[in-house]
Amino acid sequence: MKRYSDLEFLKLSKGQKFTYKLVSFFASIPRAIGRFFLGIWNFIKKLGTTIGGEFADIYTTFKNGDWKTRSSFLVMGLGSIARGQVLRGLLFLLFEAVFIFYMITTGGYWISMLPSLGKVGPHEEYNEILDSYTTVYGDNSFKILLYGVLTIFFIAAFIYTWRLNVKQNKIAQEYEKAGRKLKSGADDLRSLVDEQFYKTLLALPLLGILIFTVMPIVFMILVAFTNYDGTHDGFNNALFSWAGWANFKTMLSWEGGGNVYSATFGEVLTWTLIWAFFATFTNYFLGMFVAMMINKKGIRLKKAWRTILVLTIAIPQFISLLYVSKMFAKNGIINGLLLNWGWIDQAIDFWGSTAHNALLPRVMVIVINIWIGIPYLMLIATGILMNIPADLYESSRIDGANAWQQYTKITLPYMLFITGPYLLTSFTSNMNNFNVIFLLTGGNPINAAASSAAGSVGYTDLLITWLFKITTGAGAQYYMASVIGILVFVVVAVISLVVYNVLPSIKNEEDFQ
Amino acid sequence: MASVKLTKVKKVYDNKVVAVHDFDLDIKDKEFVVFVGPSGCGKSTTLRMIAGLEDISDGTVEIDGVVVNDLQPKDRGIAMVFQNYALYPHMTVYDNIAFSLRLQKVPEDEIYEKVTNAAEILGITDYLLRKPRALSGGQRQRVAIGRAMVRNSKVFLMDEPLSNLDAKLRNQMRAEIILLRQKLDTTFIYVTHDQTEAMTLADRIVIMKDGYIMQVGTPEECFDMPKNLFVAEFIGAPKMNVVNTELVKEGGKYYVKPFGSKIVVDGAKGEMLAKAGAEPGEIILGVRPEHIVLSKTAENAIPCTLEVNEMMGSELHLHVFTEDGTRLIVRVPTIDLSHEERESLVRGKKLFISFEGKVMHFFDKETQKNLLVEEE
Amino acid sequence: MNETIEKRSMGLKASRTLSNTIIYIILIVMSVIWLFPFICIVLQSFRIESTWNVNYVVPKQWGWDNYKALWTSDFKTWYLNTFIIALIVAVIQTVIVLCMSYTLSRFRFKLRNGLMRFMLILGMFPGMLTMIILYRVLKDLGMTQSNAVPGLILVYIASSGMGYYVSKGFFDTIPKSLDEAARVDGATRAQVLNKIILPLAKPIVIYTILTAFMGPWGDFVFARYVSFGTSSGMNVAVGMWNWLTPDMINQRYTMFCAGGVIVAIPVAILFMCLQKYYVEGVTGGAVKG
Repeated sequence: MKRYSDLEFLKLSKGQKFTYKLVSFFASIPRAIGRFFLGIWNFIKKLGTTIGGEFADIYTTFKNGDWKTRSSFLVMGLGSIARGQVLRGLLFLLFEAVFIFYMITTGGYWISMLPSLGKVGPHEEYNEILDSYTTVYGDNSFKILLYGVLTIFFIAAFIYTWRLNVKQNKIAQEYEKAGRKLKSGADDLRSLVDEQFYKTLLALPLLGILIFTVMPIVFMILVAFTNYDGTHDGFNNALFSWAGWANFKTMLSWEGGGNVYSATFGEVLTWTLIWAFFATFTNYFLGMFVAMMINKKGIRLKKAWRTILVLTIAIPQFISLLYVSKMFAKNGIINGLLLNWGWIDQAIDFWGSTAHNALLPRVMVIVINIWIGIPYLMLIATGILMNIPADLYESSRIDGANAWQQYTKITLPYMLFITGPYLLTSFTSNMNNFNVIFLLTGGNPINAAASSAAGSVGYTDLLITWLFKITTGAGAQYYMASVIGILVFVVVAVISLVVYNVLPSIKNEEDFQ
Repeated sequence: MASVKLTKVKKVYDNKVVAVHDFDLDIKDKEFVVFVGPSGCGKSTTLRMIAGLEDISDGTVEIDGVVVNDLQPKDRGIAMVFQNYALYPHMTVYDNIAFSLRLQKVPEDEIYEKVTNAAEILGITDYLLRKPRALSGGQRQRVAIGRAMVRNSKVFLMDEPLSNLDAKLRNQMRAEIILLRQKLDTTFIYVTHDQTEAMTLADRIVIMKDGYIMQVGTPEECFDMPKNLFVAEFIGAPKMNVVNTELVKEGGKYYVKPFGSKIVVDGAKGEMLAKAGAEPGEIILGVRPEHIVLSKTAENAIPCTLEVNEMMGSELHLHVFTEDGTRLIVRVPTIDLSHEERESLVRGKKLFISFEGKVMHFFDKETQKNLLVEEE
Repeated sequence: MNETIEKRSMGLKASRTLSNTIIYIILIVMSVIWLFPFICIVLQSFRIESTWNVNYVVPKQWGWDNYKALWTSDFKTWYLNTFIIALIVAVIQTVIVLCMSYTLSRFRFKLRNGLMRFMLILGMFPGMLTMIILYRVLKDLGMTQSNAVPGLILVYIASSGMGYYVSKGFFDTIPKSLDEAARVDGATRAQVLNKIILPLAKPIVIYTILTAFMGPWGDFVFARYVSFGTSSGMNVAVGMWNWLTPDMINQRYTMFCAGGVIVAIPVAILFMCLQKYYVEGVTGGAVKG
């Protein structure tokens, strides 16, 4: 491809400029992909050298260490105590004691069971007292997986702490040699409200995230590789076990007659993307439009208009959405009014529960989502519009721009630039917009063709509501829900990565500032 | 009331960019030192390392003989005035100034004493109950100084304190800082990018570029004997004229040959060149605009053409082109010229200029170092 | 010459009046659409001639019967549950979010960027996925069904650190030199937070409290999971959702409307009072991206 210099580029005609930009965009894709993988490779390399460096450092610490340092390799915190840093030392020691106690009493069991996820399932056994066969429960696959994961977390934490303990000893030894004063326990505590204050502030929030977000996600990723479902709940009816990639194959393969899942997945994903696209951009442009109308000079009662619209944010969605969904029911108010006024002869089946006409309900959820979403966008747009420097408009007016040109050349680029990242997050959160779909249609009307796959998928179901359906009821297929969840993650991640790399607000942060 | 000593201080950022290279400086008790240089030269970073707001990557900072590298800012006995004043917007002027004293748990009546005292000195007594929002730029600046004053600190740090003020106010505040300094009688470290501030305020100037110290010296030293071309051009306004030329030695005397002319380097500068054993050859010659004079005749003078005449009031800045196309600036006191002469200075006018040997500065063409300054 | 100018300015004025009229018409139509469902819900909550979903707006017979019926139903429990949850979550979640966002805005520690990226990636997993396990864990802890309230509180606050984004954006706009000035003045980091940053961050604190308080009123999915058919553990969303299921709707429809009014009024009033701060938070967060 021929590269033009800036001056040459300016001389091109409009069409040539466009083609040139298009071609250079596509030409840059392979390089971007290359960069991505190079980045991964560099990360791995860096990881490798870091780990190597750690081991080398541990080795030299031991080699050059005095008895205090060396003994700490086995009994954590001993060196610190010997050097007068009693508080630190005791904490290290305590942690080690707790760890060893835990591993011996229970941790070891969970780890040892992890590869099999339990050996003895629930079974009938003869009970002498009752003189009959009763069900005896064996291992609990769910707990094994859960506590196995937790134990692995704990081991990782222990290794990290042990490394920290070695490092501490090295530094303390160096300080001792140089004759510098070591920090006392009181110093440590004081620094927790000053230079180390961030540790204090982050401790609780991160612990919460670790236990209630990270751990469940790791767990659920693992579930995707098991056969955990309603009939294998791991304790009451049967154990579950590792299944390898089988679930992913079921979900994604097109081979033979086994494409029920993949076809459904494709269909639901397509609708999810269409929905997210419309939900995001209808709200975006209409919200901006409304904001501009209300902001226009000479329009009165600005505050009143805004307050009326904002009602849909103020009132909990389960009330407004559930109510609206009933308003549009076949025997609801809307149909009633239309019939009374004689505008229609027959009630319209907005939710298509019997007609199996998928289009109308799909349009309906998008339209009602506008009702919910415009006010939010209006607030955002109002804030941004007020921040656009007035002199931009003044100078463009002197240059002879009309209102439409002002919109396309100033307002829109400015808005898009500022809200680029917001648009991205709003797109991905719309993909996962459970509330609107579930409260309005519940995913209905049922997609008869696809519903032979688990969860009786409907035409308005998003991936997220499908996932929800699969996890409820006796026929719950947790492993499939996990697979869907992972696939949702992959889709979101890919979209985010691509958009992030082309967004101008990330690339040229200073343009509009 | 303290000395500050920086030994091989270095700042390396996470992205491996070195902001300050091996910075060595001894600041005496009660000295007023100004760090000056273009933006990005590392002057603010150095100041912030002294304050404890940036980590010191290498080297040591001592205040009063104590290494303060590991101390928090509050424990270093410093006070600091920030470029954008950094007044706490939610507190009144009184509370702003009293903030540090309250943190030290000073009794309220003592705080009252100190704050009103400082306010008196700075002339902000009338605004004590206002919020910073309701103050003008100059008043905010005074509050910021007042906040630093009441701390009784050993070292007073100022980070471009005047650069957010307009030109007139800046001149006024500059004079006030000189007065303040006499009252406080403590060690000052002052950062600015404005060479005029540096020249007028400093006992010693530290000129920096790209993280290196270019020169440390009194304002006179820096002006009269710039160590290198950078300092020569940085100090003085309008900046020094420089031209590539040849240094020749004939009959024990040095000559320079700019613009096709040949000017003898006589007097002290000639002797210094001889003493330094300057080798004839290609050099860079520097002459300050105020040291060039207009000649009435073509004799011993360089012919040139006037391009722009800037009337500054007390003086004229004439932008002229020599015959070989070099652009020079000549600074002429207005009072030296008659009204007719001034009127005649229009674009295209032919002029003759000359300068003497004693005003010349000689720089090595390769190293850009002043030929007359010996390496330490 | 003068005439043409006059003519043009007349034209300008006329076109402005025209465009303003059009805008007023659009705004009035929009207001009707926006208000219509809410007016309907209020009117129907007073309807006593039938409890069905009907096809007319204005009740034929008015009365407080539906509200009285609420009083005798489990609605009280649900309402109290939700209120307690919302109150506790609002306080604790605000503290956690502020800790998190202040730290990420002000401190530069080694793992900062890694941490933020990690949380960004975590956020890409659908939260629904984690419900299954959280439910099982809560069940093991005895925090489900009739004990759902503490369980829900725990889960709501546990991961609230992930929502640091908006308030971090706000903190980023407070000049760092204020922190530095305070530290030179002798404040520890904790004192900087208490005495300088928090007083300046009032809008975002209120925004965080408001959103944290409003969240539990609308949460439906997880609450349904955890309370699982036990009425005493439900929140209003779950309880009232059941009223609109096909086998209940004909008896409970007007009660749903009355309940909706009772739930909406305090939340909406609170929101309207604090709207200013909400707008600041929303726009700040979006602009900062």
